[in-house]
Amino acid sequence: MSAKPKDRTDIATGLLLMAAAVFFGWQTMGLEIGTSLRMGPGYFPMVLSGLLFLLGLLVFLKAFGREDEPFGKVAWRGMAFILPAPVFFGLTVRGLGFVPALFLAALIAAQASTRLKPLHGLVLAVIVTIASTLIFSYGLGLPFRRFGPWLQF
Amino acid sequence: MDLLNNLALGFSVASSLANMAFCLIGVILGTLIGVLPGIGATATIAMLLPITFQLEPVSSLIMLAGIYYGAQYGGSTTAILINMPGESSSAVTAIDGYQMARKGRAGTALATAAIGSFFAGTVATFLVAIFAPPLTTIALKFGAAEYFSLMVMGLVMSVALAHGSVLKALAMVVLGLLLGLVGTDIYTGAPRFTLGITQYADGLNFVALAVGVFGIAEILRNLEDEHDREVMTKNINRLFPTREELRQMVGPVLRGTAVGSVLGILPGGGAILASFASYTVEKKISKHPEEFGKGALAGVAGPESANNAGAQTSFIPLLTLGIPANPVMALMIGAMIIQGIVPGPNVVTEQPALFWGIIASMWIGNLMLVVLNLPLIGLWVKLLTVPYYILFPIIMAMCSIGVYSVASNTFDLYAVAFFGLLGYLMSKLRCEPAPLLLGFVLGPLLEENLRRAMILSRGDPTTFITRPISATLLLLTAAVLVLVFLPQIRKRRDEVFTESDA
Amino acid sequence: MAFKKLLGALVAATMLTAPAFAAGYPERQITMVVPFSAGGPTDTVARLVAEKMSSDLGQQIVVENVGGAGGTLGAGQVAKAEADGYTVLLHHIGMATSATLYRNLAYDTLNAFEYVGLVTEVPMVVVARKDFEPADFNAFKDYVKANGDKLTLANAGIGAASHLCGMLLMQALETPLVTVPYKGTGPAMTDLLGGQTDIMCDQTTNTTQQIQGGTIKAYAVTTPERLPLFPDLPTAKESGLDSLEFAIWHGIYTPKGTPAEVNERLSKALQAALADGGVIKAMADLGTAPSPAEDATPAALKAKLEAEITRWKPVIDAAGTYAD
Repeated sequence: MSAKPKDRTDIATGLLLMAAAVFFGWQTMGLEIGTSLRMGPGYFPMVLSGLLFLLGLLVFLKAFGREDEPFGKVAWRGMAFILPAPVFFGLTVRGLGFVPALFLAALIAAQASTRLKPLHGLVLAVIVTIASTLIFSYGLGLPFRRFGPWLQF
Repeated sequence: MDLLNNLALGFSVASSLANMAFCLIGVILGTLIGVLPGIGATATIAMLLPITFQLEPVSSLIMLAGIYYGAQYGGSTTAILINMPGESSSAVTAIDGYQMARKGRAGTALATAAIGSFFAGTVATFLVAIFAPPLTTIALKFGAAEYFSLMVMGLVMSVALAHGSVLKALAMVVLGLLLGLVGTDIYTGAPRFTLGITQYADGLNFVALAVGVFGIAEILRNLEDEHDREVMTKNINRLFPTREELRQMVGPVLRGTAVGSVLGILPGGGAILASFASYTVEKKISKHPEEFGKGALAGVAGPESANNAGAQTSFIPLLTLGIPANPVMALMIGAMIIQGIVPGPNVVTEQPALFWGIIASMWIGNLMLVVLNLPLIGLWVKLLTVPYYILFPIIMAMCSIGVYSVASNTFDLYAVAFFGLLGYLMSKLRCEPAPLLLGFVLGPLLEENLRRAMILSRGDPTTFITRPISATLLLLTAAVLVLVFLPQIRKRRDEVFTESDA
Repeated sequence: MAFKKLLGALVAATMLTAPAFAAGYPERQITMVVPFSAGGPTDTVARLVAEKMSSDLGQQIVVENVGGAGGTLGAGQVAKAEADGYTVLLHHIGMATSATLYRNLAYDTLNAFEYVGLVTEVPMVVVARKDFEPADFNAFKDYVKANGDKLTLANAGIGAASHLCGMLLMQALETPLVTVPYKGTGPAMTDLLGGQTDIMCDQTTNTTQQIQGGTIKAYAVTTPERLPLFPDLPTAKESGLDSLEFAIWHGIYTPKGTPAEVNERLSKALQAALADGGVIKAMADLGTAPSPAEDATPAALKAKLEAEITRWKPVIDAAGTYAD
């Protein structure tokens, strides 16, 4: 701990906000700003990026002279399995089809908890897949292909 | 009396056995699909729409309306139970509803939502019946300048959504506004912030954002430390509100109904603001504003009523102008056209049985909803006893399907993952998601109307204060600003360095 | 083992969906991609014909809405789909205009599709707010030419029917107006009803009810002949604006390489659907009519698409507004 109190969380927040502002501002560079009659596509985003930077700076500055609060644990395992599940579903739903894509996505998500044993995760994924296929594909007739072109031979 | 005759005609249509049955089926289906996490009213209606095509026009619209209420109520249920709103309106319910659930008051929260919705629905139905045509005339007075001022007011109010640092809440609103601008600029066709991905040309999907920053972020928080952290308290005390709680509910429900009814009439997206505005009002006039965000009953009762009232009165522009106020209404118009009814100003006079039948069925649908859902509360609350590690793979599967079914766009699923990460990061940095979400919803409307107002006024910025409705709204905004910041400033004098931030 | 069983089920299921051959076509459900959101006018047209085509084909056609980027996302998806006849695209005039409006399309419009046939051509009407001064279309032309800089022209966004028609109108009158874009027809129409904007040119599907209700004022139609729905409205052509002849045509396409007999079969089903009394009635209510049988053919659609791409390129290039 340094001598002066500072809120590390807010320092990080301020810096990230400013970084986001710079990113949006940079993306706005190529856009036309326009005039007050015909505001260009860049007018509003530019103003907002500036505003976000300012707010980020204020958050950053106010973080000094204040006590830190505990940051807590980070759900690394959760992030490693939860976030890829929808991405995987998105990547495979057209190729593999609805049924296998959903099964695998549920199986991936099930790995996120240490409390769920692998076999139980598998059973859960099978149940979710069957139930969803019955509800959405057969029941509601959603126009998803159950098995996609990658599985045709 | 014309009104009585019309209502009698309406009820005679709506209370035919077949139509009652379709209404019931609609409400049940809507609730069942809407209660699946990540699937809100829009996705539910889009999924169930084709089912209604085979029916008679009146029956089909009655069933659709039933699906709509059911889905909306179902959406609130998931918002309360697992912090997974499927619609912008239920995002507000999630703030305090989910906290109530965590404290073992899920039953009370759900019952409050049901009762508030029913009351608001009843009042708004009568408003629709009595005032539809004159209200439309007023709504048409809203041009771009008025909408811009209204949105500014909404943004100022959004600061009240936060229960922590005002500064961070403002930053979240601005970030949300920027995210809302992603996509093709409608004035010039220039793509903005799309990173060259054509799939984001029409903007980021709202459901993806809401599911990500609320639901997935919450799942990750719960996975942080599985051994010494219990997600839900196991001792769920009561299912139904006590007399005292019912008494507390009256004020918020009445005010929410009023706010929602007024905003719902505006075809340019007023209903979006209904639940946010009601939350602000409740927090401002509450004797215990510090309870908001930690499970305040008024924070569920007000917004839920406002939301339902707004949903009801947003039928006014649809039925009298033939113009949809939101994506759900657009789907209803599609259904009408397929049924051979072209919605427009003539529907009221040419198809009185249809018009009044739908209005009567709105009320019947709301009644069925409350009758159906009060007993179901016990079941929903039981759901909370399912271990979390079993629940979340199911949630992930459902929201993948829900998000994908909105537009069959796989990039929406990638957005879910991205916003899940962002939402988790935000919660670690003690930034709140609700202001971000409101900014996201309002961003495009704000910019669109600002630019349109400037075009229509030929670049004259005084248009915002010379038009009376716009000027009034801006004055109100100023008043809200004073109300929000005065106590802040006063507080800061007392405790300069110890601003509470939690 | 659960897994083994599942694998077995997977294998069995994939056998059922073995590649289809044209001979017994169609053997399973057909997906009709509509590149716009559910409930919109194009979706409505698609669902109207899909239902009747299903009964002729003996297999269900399900409508899948793949909206986004002015219809180019859905079209791109069909362009990449298997050419087996089980994925078809229903698109409108945007198929031709997007070839110019979008400079980086993911597909080559003229070489990525096969053709089934034209579905319907929806006429356009030039309308204005209800208290707009000119009494008839001739007065309208003079008034607009004299007051061009004071008038506003609403449209529903880049590439929308009202945007295309607005460009033609301004070109025909040789008068630039202040254009006010909206996100979709709904808000654009609301502001016209409220008198916030002056002029719009849009499809009969969106304007008929409002014109009949007297909430907006109609001046002219863009069809070669007067419409039975509005016998009193002159055509733009008879009023001397030859270039303002224009309709929103809809066509059905399949991916490149789809067997000719499959397209013929679909075309036959389309013709049957278009001859159906219910479809004719529903379209009449919207102020339009099904395309005649000779146009609901692959050759007619191909000719139409080629002609329309050629027609719109100079108009869009002259306006200088692109969608990407």
